[in-house]
Amino acid sequence: MLRRTIERLLPFSWRDLAATVGIIGLAALLCAALKPISDSDFHVPLIFVLAVLMVSLATDGYLFGVLSSVIAVLGVNIVFTYPYFQMDFSMTGYPLTFLCMFAVSIITCTLTSRVRKSEKVKAEAEREKMRANLLRAISHDFRTPLTGMIGATNVVLENGDHLSEAEKTALLTGARNDAEWLIHMVENLLSITRIDADSGAELHKEPQAVEEVLGEAVSRFHRQYPAFRVEIRIPEEPLFVEMDATLIEQVLINLLINAAIHGHTADTAVVSVESGAEQVSVSVEDNGEGIRKELLPHLFDEYGARNARERENRNMGIGLSVCSTIVKAHGGQMHAENPPGGGARFTFTLPHSAAQMGGSDYGIET
Amino acid sequence: MALRPKILVAEDEERIVGFISAVLTANGYDVITAGSGKETRSMLASHCPDLVLLDLGLPDMDGMDIIRSTREWTQLPIVVVTARDGERDKVAALDAGADDYITKPFGTHELLARIRTALRHARGSASSDALSASGIFTAGRLTIDYNKRWVLVDGENVHLTQNEYKIVSLLGLHAGKVLTYDYILKSIWGPSASGDNQVLRVHMANIRRKIERSPAEPEFIFTEVGVGYRIVEGDN
Repeated sequence: MLRRTIERLLPFSWRDLAATVGIIGLAALLCAALKPISDSDFHVPLIFVLAVLMVSLATDGYLFGVLSSVIAVLGVNIVFTYPYFQMDFSMTGYPLTFLCMFAVSIITCTLTSRVRKSEKVKAEAEREKMRANLLRAISHDFRTPLTGMIGATNVVLENGDHLSEAEKTALLTGARNDAEWLIHMVENLLSITRIDADSGAELHKEPQAVEEVLGEAVSRFHRQYPAFRVEIRIPEEPLFVEMDATLIEQVLINLLINAAIHGHTADTAVVSVESGAEQVSVSVEDNGEGIRKELLPHLFDEYGARNARERENRNMGIGLSVCSTIVKAHGGQMHAENPPGGGARFTFTLPHSAAQMGGSDYGIET
Repeated sequence: MALRPKILVAEDEERIVGFISAVLTANGYDVITAGSGKETRSMLASHCPDLVLLDLGLPDMDGMDIIRSTREWTQLPIVVVTARDGERDKVAALDAGADDYITKPFGTHELLARIRTALRHARGSASSDALSASGIFTAGRLTIDYNKRWVLVDGENVHLTQNEYKIVSLLGLHAGKVLTYDYILKSIWGPSASGDNQVLRVHMANIRRKIERSPAEPEFIFTEVGVGYRIVEGDN
């Protein structure tokens, strides 16, 4: 308990030590430089007070602030004021200088730590708020399909005798589609937790053949939307890019599902891969209605997510912000546009793998 | 009446047990169930099922331990049930001796296909029917001729390199089953092969360019990202 308090009040770090030494050193140099051109020692205590103030500001906790005030007091007394290189306790006002320096350092340290703490609290509150918003949004989004599923299955269970086979099939199909949508959203949420830096989760990056990841994403998508056509255009040469395959697969599936659901009139998506000098860009283009202009600038942010939800565009918001989070974590970028020929096009980039084939030491990167 | 294969469903979620049992019973299997690792072990010993469908997340025991301890005394097929983002679990389970895996949530179609494949492989070469009789594997347009050591697509000889042929023929021997990167590497380059999947991926990219119409939409050899490869089940 005591030790923890001491550690909290007097945290030690080499960075802070370096800052302290640097600032005090500068002050000493300045005094030494001023000495030949000034015949009074009047400026010395002032320069050191300033130094103590700066150290207290630049470092964490009380340790270095207090330490620097002690050094400053001794420095002023011994080195820079008459009689030089001697301790002189008979100087008038000496105890006052000492006390002043001490007070300056402690007050500054207190203020600095207080400001830092409140900043941290603010950032935490912000994150907490985002999390709460996301949770609320998700719960809201989940309620609709769940209500539908309960309703449909209840009708079949309780009034099954009065329903035709076709009606029963329709109800159950609806329930299954809702459940599939829910599981897709859960995968999305799991993806987010995988790259949430706070939880210490890490990307599992490895060079992957783009065609393999793409192939699996499309086949998963087709299991849910068998009638939706997907055309794939990849370069002739096999292309290897460093990525977390499960997450990039998720991005592709999200974009394809978006095309299928939000493209409205869309029945085909073209997935094309282009390899540039520094990055690979992957785009998913559908032949649907395109993205509404007012939504375009906000597609990947919180506002977009909220707005899309308000317009009953289930999934679009969360799905896309998951995509952009994943792509950003890979060091790539994502953008959306309405190409001139109609439809919507989403493009994301991934930086080329630094390690080309042959190496075997593909460490896990954070 | 033909003997119905007996399947042990080791799963602790009652609803999932319910639906799996219904599907399996409707498709000509006998089902017994176990809700815990301990129960699974004793059922395995006392009922001698033909196959076990094992959930890796049983409450009382690590799934890997169950696989390992089962493999100590029997080769009965084990199909593992895992979550989608558990690549490492999948690979670990396969390496520990599981025959195949299926990812939650799965469709009935997929479930039945996995079980069929695992049961067929368990019956061994004796009835790996057409293949062992004729030395020829066929799946739609694809033919692997083990006697002549060549691969045909639409009756045309595909010119594969030595290693490419070895990979395709190995997959063909285990048709329908996923083979891990590690297993393929060790089978072809020997036990001292480095754990570098990249070599295999490059070979696979070349193979696909020779046998598939579109490498990203494979008809014959599928990727299980992060785990390995699987070739389509043969005809019959």
